Amino acid sequence: MRGAVLRRPSTSLAVLAAAGVLALGACSSSGGKKAEESANPAPGAGPRLKIAMVTHSGPGDTFWDIVQKGAKAAAAKDNVQFLYSADPDGGKQAQLVQAAIDQKVDGIIVTLAKPDAMKDVLARATAAKIPVVSINSGANDSAKLGAVAHFGQDESIAGEAAGTELAKIGAKKALCVIHEQGNVGLEDRCAGAKKTFGGDLQNLFVQGTNMPQVKSSITAKLQADKGIDGILTLGAPFAATAVDSAKEVGSKAKVGTFDMNKDLIASIKAGDIWFAVDQQPYLQGYGAVDELWLLKNNGNVIGGGRPVLTGPAIVTKDNAGALEAFANRGTR
Amino acid sequence: MTQAVAEPPLKGPGADERLERQSALRRLLGRPELGALLGAVALFVFFSVVADAFLETSSFSTVLYASSTFGIMAVGVSLLMIGGEFDLSAGVMVTSSALVAALVSYQLTLNVWAGVVISLAVTLALGMLNGILYTRTGLPSFIITLATFFMLAGLNLGVTKAITGNVASDSVRDMDGFDSARAVFARDVDVAGVNVNVTVFWWLLFVAVATWILLRTRVGNWIFAVGGAAASARAVGVPVARTKIGLFMGVAFCAWFSGMHLVFAFATVQSGEGVGNEFSYIICAVIGGCLLTGGYGSAIGAAIGAFIFGMTNKGIVYAEWNPDWFRFFLGAMLLVATVVNLVVRRRVERSP
Amino acid sequence: MTGAAVPREQGSPDAAPLVRLTDVGKSYGSVIALRGVSLEADAGEVTCVLGDNGAGKSTLIKIIAGLHRHDSGTYEVQGEEVAFASPRDALTRGIATVYQDLAVVPLMPVWRNFFLGSEKRKSFGRMDIDFMRRTTHSELAEMGIDLRDVDQPIGTLSGGERQCVAIARAVHFGARALILDEPTAALGVKQAGVVLRYIVQARERGLAVVFITHNPHHAYPVGDRFLILNRGRSLGYHTKEEITREELTALMAGGAELEQLAHELDAAASGGAVAKELAREAKDLGVADS
Repeated sequence: MRGAVLRRPSTSLAVLAAAGVLALGACSSSGGKKAEESANPAPGAGPRLKIAMVTHSGPGDTFWDIVQKGAKAAAAKDNVQFLYSADPDGGKQAQLVQAAIDQKVDGIIVTLAKPDAMKDVLARATAAKIPVVSINSGANDSAKLGAVAHFGQDESIAGEAAGTELAKIGAKKALCVIHEQGNVGLEDRCAGAKKTFGGDLQNLFVQGTNMPQVKSSITAKLQADKGIDGILTLGAPFAATAVDSAKEVGSKAKVGTFDMNKDLIASIKAGDIWFAVDQQPYLQGYGAVDELWLLKNNGNVIGGGRPVLTGPAIVTKDNAGALEAFANRGTR
Repeated sequence: MTQAVAEPPLKGPGADERLERQSALRRLLGRPELGALLGAVALFVFFSVVADAFLETSSFSTVLYASSTFGIMAVGVSLLMIGGEFDLSAGVMVTSSALVAALVSYQLTLNVWAGVVISLAVTLALGMLNGILYTRTGLPSFIITLATFFMLAGLNLGVTKAITGNVASDSVRDMDGFDSARAVFARDVDVAGVNVNVTVFWWLLFVAVATWILLRTRVGNWIFAVGGAAASARAVGVPVARTKIGLFMGVAFCAWFSGMHLVFAFATVQSGEGVGNEFSYIICAVIGGCLLTGGYGSAIGAAIGAFIFGMTNKGIVYAEWNPDWFRFFLGAMLLVATVVNLVVRRRVERSP
Repeated sequence: MTGAAVPREQGSPDAAPLVRLTDVGKSYGSVIALRGVSLEADAGEVTCVLGDNGAGKSTLIKIIAGLHRHDSGTYEVQGEEVAFASPRDALTRGIATVYQDLAVVPLMPVWRNFFLGSEKRKSFGRMDIDFMRRTTHSELAEMGIDLRDVDQPIGTLSGGERQCVAIARAVHFGARALILDEPTAALGVKQAGVVLRYIVQARERGLAVVFITHNPHHAYPVGDRFLILNRGRSLGYHTKEEITREELTALMAGGAELEQLAHELDAAASGGAVAKELAREAKDLGVADS
């Protein structure tokens, strides 16, 4: 069965080249739907709900993929029809929320990366008596905008944890590699790390969508300042690249990172990367769907009106082995 | 000036002498890459002064590596621009190419070289698709490739996720042929004690080949012609459609090579990568003297443009300026480089 | 040259004119663009096709050049009836067309333009650049354009010289009949003179020239025969002996309009001087030529 699926990429790309995408699009989405249906055996706990998640994710982000997996797992368990949409642009994200309201969903899960853009549309959701749960960023605005609960990581607290870890592995002068300039969450992480690190922590901006540029920028920084002995990256793919750069320059800088994936676990086990600060995205998706289900079926509110922290969870060589299987299946 | 040259037959010795006096200077200054070269020299001097680490050979190697990753794409993109077209799908096509190679070899458990070859075929087909769509519909290439840009970005994510269940390809690091492929696409070469990434040498080779094609072959003549005046070229028998399709495939070839570098330098490929890079390539070509309207430019110029881009990109890091201002400095440097380029070219045009 | 409207006897290919159209017609859907037009061009002759915008000149040229096929009548090359499928076909029969605005690629050097589409090659696909530079220089010199630097972009040449390069190119690549589509239309008086000089030279080199223009003052000095088109029909087909410059001008809408304009301006008191000037100009516009 796997073989049949496997053959698809090369042939279908070639088919695209010759004919068009429609066939392929139809083909793969039908496969996905089938899979989703078979994974939804409808346990019959309460009426079937429809819950929409609208995030500020760009396409192809590992992190949001894991959030979705968590949400889908909870949805399958709770007999919930789960809808996902995303747009990094605040205004467009608000439009997607409006679309969910128009669909008369039973609950909405949103991220509040741009709280102001979401304010009006969330007021409309409240007016339409659709409960809202916020996840990921926006802990401070969550209650103000009428959300019943918030699942996320406080970036400053996570940064502080990372700073502590960085100090623990013996770094004195470290880099904080920001892969998306102007992202408040990433800046907060670096600021938090700076607070607890104790040593000198400098920010370095790189262009996250261009891996060779990420690599050469880190290399350049290590060449410019030979005293750097620690690197903190804010996303898993950049950690592996930072390790490459350090090797290339002959730097002894130790690398730690935010995020989690299976390659990262392998690198931690191998000793290339010293620690990872995981905000457990799976938990954010899972918790949010569960909260909406509980609210509908039992009137429960998780967190008592306060943000529920899903991280930081620190992964080091000591516990990497235990998490390996989960990361391999793409849920950690 | 036009008036002077416009005198009917140039018989008087005065007319000839005037032309002769211009042409030596003009031929040097009239090269499309001259302005960019001066800009590059100015930037190099500038960063040498403000950044201590910049002048070290290892740093220079890093700058060259950064330049080469832009520069390899800028080769194809500049030829296409000389041919009068844009390719906005160039950035994501690199990712597509890398994903095809990584996914095919991993999922079918093939030697990675098989993935490399299949990826080449697929990527060239994508380039051909761009070209055929353009020549058949007659719509601006801007629109056509914008459409393929979105389609490819969607396919990158959709196919990757459908196959691996994740948004990145699985690591091919421990597969057969990885080491030999890495040696070709991503190895560090020891040059007098300094590690230089092999992409730098490929880049120089591609630039040399592209320059040879442009200046010494019939196809090069056609490229200038289809970009300068496609209808005139068609009227004298130049196969305009074939030339343009070939140019789109040239971009695809460069995208394939860059994609292979991604795969074998980083082993896994993020499906969302590459978005926005197409503009960097176009910027390199423009800094290097390619006209946005086509018909004029050079591959060497685009290479210098890529060097300026790489130098600025890394020079700011070496100079250890406040990173909050990074993009401001990047923009300012690029502006300075392009303005120097412009001023030089205007001078040349005005000078007698 | 006798009255040429009557087709000659079909003789040996040598006796037949290089290009001959007899009663040619063309319609696009319900629009009749050309009806019953006859014309011939022989080696060493210039046949001028005159007419205002929309008279059918461009349809005629497209038929001769092989871009369109005629619907009625016959098109013969050296006495042999032809129906070209593409401009390439026409070119292989020695019929080269130089379009007004499609002549050259302005940013490219002169020699690259000269050989564009017919590049001379050595082994490995390399171009024989030396040969092409030399040939361009000598061919242009032969046409009377002495360029020291064939590497200069052709856009730096005057409009007239550009047309001349295009003409020289067609001659070099074996054209025996040269179709010139309004080569003087966008040019000033002086530059138009340059082009007219080369038309004469091409004639003297034994080419058949079909010269399309809307300016009788350009046509008359160089032409041997004149075909006047109006609304897709022939208004007259004359040899030079049969018609004077004034008659030719009068036949052309352009001249008539100029006169009318002079009258109108005359009526307005303030425009008197201008009107006189225009009236005089309408009479002897052709003096600047040749």
